[in-house]
Amino acid sequence: MITVAPEVSNSTSGLKLDLENLMPEQTALEIKNLDLFYAEKQALSNINMKIPKGQVTAFIGPSGCGKSTLLRCINRMNDLVDICRIEGEIQLHGENIYDKQVDVAALRRNVGMVFQRPNPFPKSIYENVVYGLRLQGVKDKRRLDEVVEKSLRSAALWDEVKDRLHESAFGLSGGQQQRLVIARSIAIEPEVLLLDEPTSALDPISTLVIEELIGDLKDKFTVVIVTHNMQQAARVSDQTAFMYMGELIEYSDTNTLFTTPSKKKTEDYITGRYG
Amino acid sequence: MEHNLSKHISGKFNQDLEDVRNHVLAMGGLVEQQLNSALDAVCSGDSELAKKVEEDDYKVNALEVSIDEECTRIIAKRQPAASDLRLVVAIAKTIADLERIGDEARRIAQVALDSFSKEQQDLLVMIDNMGRQVSKMLHDVLDAFARMDVDAAFKVHKEDAKVDREYEALIRQIMTYMMEDPRSIPKIMALVWSVRSLERIGDRCQNIAEYVIYFVKGKDIRHISQEDIEKDILKM
Repeated sequence: MITVAPEVSNSTSGLKLDLENLMPEQTALEIKNLDLFYAEKQALSNINMKIPKGQVTAFIGPSGCGKSTLLRCINRMNDLVDICRIEGEIQLHGENIYDKQVDVAALRRNVGMVFQRPNPFPKSIYENVVYGLRLQGVKDKRRLDEVVEKSLRSAALWDEVKDRLHESAFGLSGGQQQRLVIARSIAIEPEVLLLDEPTSALDPISTLVIEELIGDLKDKFTVVIVTHNMQQAARVSDQTAFMYMGELIEYSDTNTLFTTPSKKKTEDYITGRYG
Repeated sequence: MEHNLSKHISGKFNQDLEDVRNHVLAMGGLVEQQLNSALDAVCSGDSELAKKVEEDDYKVNALEVSIDEECTRIIAKRQPAASDLRLVVAIAKTIADLERIGDEARRIAQVALDSFSKEQQDLLVMIDNMGRQVSKMLHDVLDAFARMDVDAAFKVHKEDAKVDREYEALIRQIMTYMMEDPRSIPKIMALVWSVRSLERIGDRCQNIAEYVIYFVKGKDIRHISQEDIEKDILKM
């Protein structure tokens, strides 16, 4: 006798996580009591969240809500901003990435980032992909060739560029350039990939290709994406966090957040109402 | 959570949602009128009125098609989320049930085209009683829909059990009648079908009540016992 009713799969990954009580082995990142100030102005207040491993987590919210700021905290991009002050912790493998002894370059190898506008280097496609490895001192031609093919395949770009690997990356279309940048980020095999509005400068078709790619990437990486496009968040992510005025308002699995949000602010934002 | 259709940043979206909701209410009003006319026709043996019910059914069908189109258009253009999405889904389901209620009303009206003996008139009165009960359910659920009132919807939801009991009782009585006078069976069968139609209308009103609760609470209450609905969902 069937005692449990068969259920239609509830999330893109098929299982719904208990985000508040995530086990350590399921957790890629844990943000604890994070506050961030730009000079006197507080941009993030008391953010607490666990980001699960091997899944796509989206940050959504109106302009200036702090979602990009939070994303940048994860690989310490805000270190470059003089007036920025951070309190609290972000843990990767149980270690606080803001500890004094942390090597920021090593952290950024582990936590890759892709920006809004594609930013390939003024080099060939091949050299763009192997850039990180060359910095690490890898010289073995065979190894480099392998990584180029693997990364470009993972970024769903290989078939389009395999015959012109040594041509300039600037000859690619915007969508292809963005996929090249993703290939460059994943060539050094980070654990976490941060995407800051990766498709906002792209046409709808390139956007769909990147979205498809994000779904494939989560098999190997933990993906955190900031997007202005709510439908995109709904399509690609497993978890969604809604932020408003520097606070994390609601964080739950994407299906729940987009059909039955529990907070009125979330509801107003995702249905396009006045707050 | 407060549900206000008219607070979207896009004025056109407000208008679209408001329009589709009004069209559903208009369709509901029409279906209610069809049902009442059908019952009147049966009760008074008014074949003219019965024919009118039959003729007007196309209006209900046409409304279903056009509201369906509106819903599709809203989904395509606006990609509604959260309560907006639930509203559109609830509407798409509600109009399907309303259309079927319209069909049942037409079926009931057909009884009026037959003539009945004096004893059979008693059965007609009983059908009329049950009919009024069902018609009130329809009226109340449309009212609950218009005001998006969960408590009123749940009241209708509970009302269906009474209609089911009424149905059982009536069927028993009709069967007794048929056993006493087997020659009447062909004619009486038409009554059985219309009693059955009324019972189905009750079920469909219950469905609509479920959609109202789904829209407001975001919970699917189909196939959940009424105690659990009351305990877990309405208290939220």
